[in-house]
Amino acid sequence: MTAAASVPPARIQPVRRPSTARSVGVQLLLCAYAVVAFGPILLVLIGSFRSNSDLLGQPIGLPGSAGLTNYARAWQTASLSTYFLNSALVSVASVALCVGLASMLAYGLSRWRFRGGAVLAAYVIAGLMIPAKLGLLPVFYMFESAGLIDSRLGLVLLYAAGGIPFSVFVLMGFLRGVPPELEEAALIDGANEWRIFRSVVLPLMRPAVAAVTVFQFAPIWNDFFYPLVLIRSDEKYTIPVGLTRFIGEYAADRGALFAGLVLALAPLVLVFVFATKQIVAGLTAGIGR
Amino acid sequence: MGTRWTKAAAMAVLLGVVAACSPGTAGGSGSTEDQGGPVTLKVWGWRQEDVAAYKKIFKLYEDKHPGVTVEYVPYKNTEYDTILKTGLTGTNGPDVAQLRSYGLLQPLAAAGSLVELDSTVPELKEFSSDVLDGARSDRDQKVYGVPFAIQTMHVIYNKDIYAKHGLSVPTTWAEMTAGFDKLKAAGVVPVAATVTDTWMLPIQQEIFGATRYGGIEQRDRMLRGEGKFTDEAWVASIGTWLSTKPYWEPQATGVGYDDAKAQFASGKAATFPGGVWEVAGFKTANPQLNIGVFNAPPAPDAVSQKTLVPGFVDGSFGVSSKTSNQAAALELVRWMAGAEFGQAFTDELQQISPVPGVTPKGEVLAQAVKDYAANPSPYLTYAYFSAGTPGAWDLASKELSNAVLGKVTPAQAAASIQRGVDQWFKPKS
Amino acid sequence: MAFCLPGAGLYSAMVIYPLLTALVYGFFAWEGTTRGPFVGVGNYLEVLTRYPISSELGAALLHNVLFFVGTMAIQNTIGLGLALILHRNPRGKRFFQTLFSMPFLISPLIVGYLWSLLLSPTFGPVNAALKAVSLESWAQPWLGEPDLALPVLILVNAWQWIGGPLLIFGAALGGIPQSLEEAAQIDGARPWTLFWRIRFPLLMPAVGVITVLTFIGCFNVFDLVYALGGTSGGPGGSMDVLGLLYYRTAFRGGSNAIGESSAVAMLMFVLIFGVALLLERLLRRREVQL
Repeated sequence: MTAAASVPPARIQPVRRPSTARSVGVQLLLCAYAVVAFGPILLVLIGSFRSNSDLLGQPIGLPGSAGLTNYARAWQTASLSTYFLNSALVSVASVALCVGLASMLAYGLSRWRFRGGAVLAAYVIAGLMIPAKLGLLPVFYMFESAGLIDSRLGLVLLYAAGGIPFSVFVLMGFLRGVPPELEEAALIDGANEWRIFRSVVLPLMRPAVAAVTVFQFAPIWNDFFYPLVLIRSDEKYTIPVGLTRFIGEYAADRGALFAGLVLALAPLVLVFVFATKQIVAGLTAGIGR
Repeated sequence: MGTRWTKAAAMAVLLGVVAACSPGTAGGSGSTEDQGGPVTLKVWGWRQEDVAAYKKIFKLYEDKHPGVTVEYVPYKNTEYDTILKTGLTGTNGPDVAQLRSYGLLQPLAAAGSLVELDSTVPELKEFSSDVLDGARSDRDQKVYGVPFAIQTMHVIYNKDIYAKHGLSVPTTWAEMTAGFDKLKAAGVVPVAATVTDTWMLPIQQEIFGATRYGGIEQRDRMLRGEGKFTDEAWVASIGTWLSTKPYWEPQATGVGYDDAKAQFASGKAATFPGGVWEVAGFKTANPQLNIGVFNAPPAPDAVSQKTLVPGFVDGSFGVSSKTSNQAAALELVRWMAGAEFGQAFTDELQQISPVPGVTPKGEVLAQAVKDYAANPSPYLTYAYFSAGTPGAWDLASKELSNAVLGKVTPAQAAASIQRGVDQWFKPKS
Repeated sequence: MAFCLPGAGLYSAMVIYPLLTALVYGFFAWEGTTRGPFVGVGNYLEVLTRYPISSELGAALLHNVLFFVGTMAIQNTIGLGLALILHRNPRGKRFFQTLFSMPFLISPLIVGYLWSLLLSPTFGPVNAALKAVSLESWAQPWLGEPDLALPVLILVNAWQWIGGPLLIFGAALGGIPQSLEEAAQIDGARPWTLFWRIRFPLLMPAVGVITVLTFIGCFNVFDLVYALGGTSGGPGGSMDVLGLLYYRTAFRGGSNAIGESSAVAMLMFVLIFGVALLLERLLRRREVQL
């Protein structure tokens, strides 16, 4: 974007030593927002350990009245494990396909000059502003004639394509900051384009690729709209659609409902806790630029 | 980057010359194969809570039809219409599907997604014409589904709470509201009203307001083009329903369907105005619940002096025109039009079967059937004025919500409904 | 260029081609899924004039605009504030960033269900908590009051996405050369002046990115509203947005649903893409001036 922020991010020390009172105030403020951010999740977590009648009688309370029975009920009856597997399968495959294709595309667009290259770049990046979901009906009929309705492959293709503009945008931004010397050296050594891409460029792009991967993952994992319309069979549902079914069936059983929500949230939270670093790094590399 | 965007847009348009691909060209009804070998029929529906019951019911069929497996595939009630609409347009759809009745059936029948049943299901001749109205296409007057349930609407009440406060089933409107007052004073929510799920609003309006506008007679006037939603009686029926508002939960405007049901099932509320289809669910949620039904007696200034019971055909089972097992699917729906299915349906699901000669066993249901037979009333917006776009039921859901919130007066709500319906409704001469 | 083909191809087939097809669909009358005669702009006229969809379009657009403005004002301001605080007090920065951003991981649909359970007036903990601390008069049917529903939607949405501006502003703040800030401090700039004169102008690229992303996000919103207010958009349609309207026209419409919803889709497309382009250009020009 602009050159303003292209200086590598320096580790900034606090500019001014804040007074103790002020520091305490700041910590209080941060903790207050932490309660807002995490409180609702905590309520669900606690609720998942309470019995249904307890929950209906007393919305706020301590865990314990139900032990793990809610979890047992939710897990056994809701085929959450199937939904999990589907979400994992679809998300991993889409992100892999998306990042693979986007890396190639970003590399081609930033390192090779060819006629129409600039237009192609603009054409792809314009996708960032396109509300792709408005193409749902045509996608539906296209999939219909291609036999991709009720197919996880169809979802993977859609998600991968939908993620390309963002990935290309971030990866091109990253490549702009990487000098092409290494690639030129490899070219002189007689390596072909594919080899250069695989053994030189991809390893170079690793931080940005990691960031893009993490960023694409959550929205795909969470998407509700496409599987709602494109997936039919229960055994192919992803977590969000599966959960709406679960919510419909368990509307009266709040305990099991909360347990189901916790089960659905847990894996992503784990991924995220370990990946904050990548997210921050990726933002610095791509968007912040 | 400025001009590049323009160029990109131009390129996008260029690519667009590929243009039109038309859906719905392939497919058609391939009913040739699969006659001898094992057949699995997928029956789609919107009743997730009924899976176990349907398994039992279809077992009866499977036992008599070796090689045929019938599987009930339910979807979430609120998403079913979307899913069915897409499901019927192509591969991987159902063989047999639960269809909504009246207006909501029309687009499916018009699109040619369903097989016409007049000629192939002779059992339908035994059904009454009023019941078949629920599965008839407005366009060609043919029947596209075998009706499976009649739904009636009542004030569902907690007998124990009523007994505890010395109340009996009211015979006059004043007696009913006096009972509500007593309950309210005792700290019980008299009426567990649903507000945020707006599809429940026209139901509650019928339950409390039917007598005020007069039921069937008003319907017939409106169908002939002599009456309108803006008629004084219909407008006033909204007010009649809203006059029960003091008996709702204090913050009822934020109460949804699930919350209202939980209020009644947990004994926090004494009554739940809703369809008879809720009874089974209440019993599952709280087996100790002692449930009864009554109907709102004639309201002040009521046009009808009978205690009307609103009811309608809930849905029907139709055959997808895309199924590759058409013969087997037709065989199944013929069975569904017979007494064996009807009795099993009413016994297992505790709902009212429209199959002639079938009687329900449960006490509540038997009473609902008896009351409805004595003083039937239509579900006006849903059944008779929702065949076009916009449908009266959609409009009523929205406008009654506005009326509850005080954003519009009953007269304005009715005017909006009539304005929408006027754009397509043609009176039957 | 061989490296570009697979990616560009998939993108064209799955994103661009369907939109172009929708454009074509919108010019025909449909009978269920069978294409009928060419009607030109007939479908557009129909959705712009037929009651009640004509008035619903206007209302939904207004709600989208309010949603965008409210989100910019609340979510992005709080996000910037938190990012500044964390920038100046790096102790526990990673921990707080993680915690604050956590809701981003939850599917908007689940966020919606979660909050409608929490805000329920009968069994919800929020009102119960207010009652417990004697603030009973504050307890409201949050999602049932037309005047409250949209603000609640904005807050719930901000709760979920606060991590976006927090991380993006955090990254941009980290990219401001330390020497600039120090120089300003030596010149005796107060913290407030330091922010407006030095930091804010340098944050403009991030502001631009966030504005465009917020705009697109706000005008594409569907899942969250669907879960909080159902397909009709909450009490009296006070949360009805274009995404829901499109969904209703496409899947709850009459027999010409394909034609009419395609027309709605194209109107939305022109609006979203057009304004996003415009925003992008305006913000870019502003950067150049600085």
